[in-house]
Amino acid sequence: MKRIGLFLGCNIPLRRPDIEYSMRYILKEFGVEVVDLEGATCCPAFGTMPSVDLVGWCVGAAWNMAIAEEKGVDMITGCGSCYGSLNEARYHMEKHPEIKEKVNEILAKGGKKYEGKVKVWNVYNYLYEVIGLDAIKEKVKYPLNEMVLGIQVGCHNLWPSKAHTSNDDDVFHPKRLKEVCEALGGKAPEYSTMLDCCGMGALGSLAKEKSWNLFLNKVEKMRAEINPELLVTGCSSCLLRFDNDQAQMKKEGLIDWEVPAVHVAQLVALCLGAEPEKAVGLAEVPIEGIVEKIRGGK
Amino acid sequence: MEGARDVNVIKLDEEFFAEFYDELQEMGMDKNQLRRCIQCGMCAGGCPMALAGLEYFIKRIVHASILGLKEIFLDDSSVWGCQSCNRCVEVCPMDVRPYELIQAIRRVCFREYAMPSNTIDGLRNYYEQGHAVIMKGYEERRQKVGLDPVPPTTIGNEELRKKFQEVMKATALAEVAPFPLE
Repeated sequence: MKRIGLFLGCNIPLRRPDIEYSMRYILKEFGVEVVDLEGATCCPAFGTMPSVDLVGWCVGAAWNMAIAEEKGVDMITGCGSCYGSLNEARYHMEKHPEIKEKVNEILAKGGKKYEGKVKVWNVYNYLYEVIGLDAIKEKVKYPLNEMVLGIQVGCHNLWPSKAHTSNDDDVFHPKRLKEVCEALGGKAPEYSTMLDCCGMGALGSLAKEKSWNLFLNKVEKMRAEINPELLVTGCSSCLLRFDNDQAQMKKEGLIDWEVPAVHVAQLVALCLGAEPEKAVGLAEVPIEGIVEKIRGGK
Repeated sequence: MEGARDVNVIKLDEEFFAEFYDELQEMGMDKNQLRRCIQCGMCAGGCPMALAGLEYFIKRIVHASILGLKEIFLDDSSVWGCQSCNRCVEVCPMDVRPYELIQAIRRVCFREYAMPSNTIDGLRNYYEQGHAVIMKGYEERRQKVGLDPVPPTTIGNEELRKKFQEVMKATALAEVAPFPLE
């Protein structure tokens, strides 16, 4: 039986645990044993230790990866920032053995050791490479019947490609998230702002209005070009922007439209038959219509 | 009209550069790597800071760094608005790795306490709970979707949280944290 360490991060377990539920659900459905990583922390987020100290960043990331190594598993995360921070730290330690050595001297104070064996996956790469598109197609209970999806891959899932052990072949024309969505029966047309940043992250804290404008520019162009019924993200931070912040923008009268949004793990969970109250139970942009359409689709 | 004598001239000699270059080097950005930049602008094309309209976006940040203008980063907060998207690293034809420069500049600024207050909050949460971002009411949200109220991370595990803090106390955080490490 396949096993994988579930790396939670912060936003998934504490703000959008419906993504955590969905990840656990789909992994189990695909016959993968989910291994909890007790005592894991924040990845660490780019604005914390990475902005303080290079070795300190690697210590924080290695703490988490060492927990997975103790359990003999690779890790999976639904958050692009976690995916980026962990993989970049792993890459720095691989390229600079002297950093890795210092990291292990420090980790020893907490009884941990980082060897560098662990691989960090994101959800759609794991589905694409390890589970496989055919296995997804076989498991689908509620196909999407060509529902038009607006996909948001997420910057950290693509770049810097040298740090990622699993990635699209062409990181400026990504296909994997699209193909996972198509395996569910959906359509995921390309649109001109597909690679633009959603604006979530440090910019949101520093200059909220400017960061919201990035989202508005991206999604308004997307709507004009492909008019999606549902937005699908490969990253939980993007989902906070696409769903929670979109709902806030509607409330504040900045937009007069609504497009429901889910993380790819949630969409797969819905198509596999998960209870919607759990899989998308914390969505803020009304999603009932889409859920009904998906579940009534067969 | 003001005369030429009033033009603000920066004396670009090695001595002027040395201090900031040394600090950046110490914080993980090699000066030879930095000086490879030809200011082509590939990094700026898709930079979220540029698209959002921040005064100092990636190309200008690299330029100012090559000129040794550390003061800019102590006064202007643009580097803290970087999304860490790494698109600049992906496209740079000279392999400058501009995002590594952003991080090095932040580390230099951090040591001068020139950072936004939310950075301190996130870092304190990270040290104290193991999570940079904690939204109240998580127990209820987790139960609503059928999960245990507390996740299996440091937030619900005091023993491992203490061990994590012992580890973090042995990093540079011990010297530079703007809050006590208890």
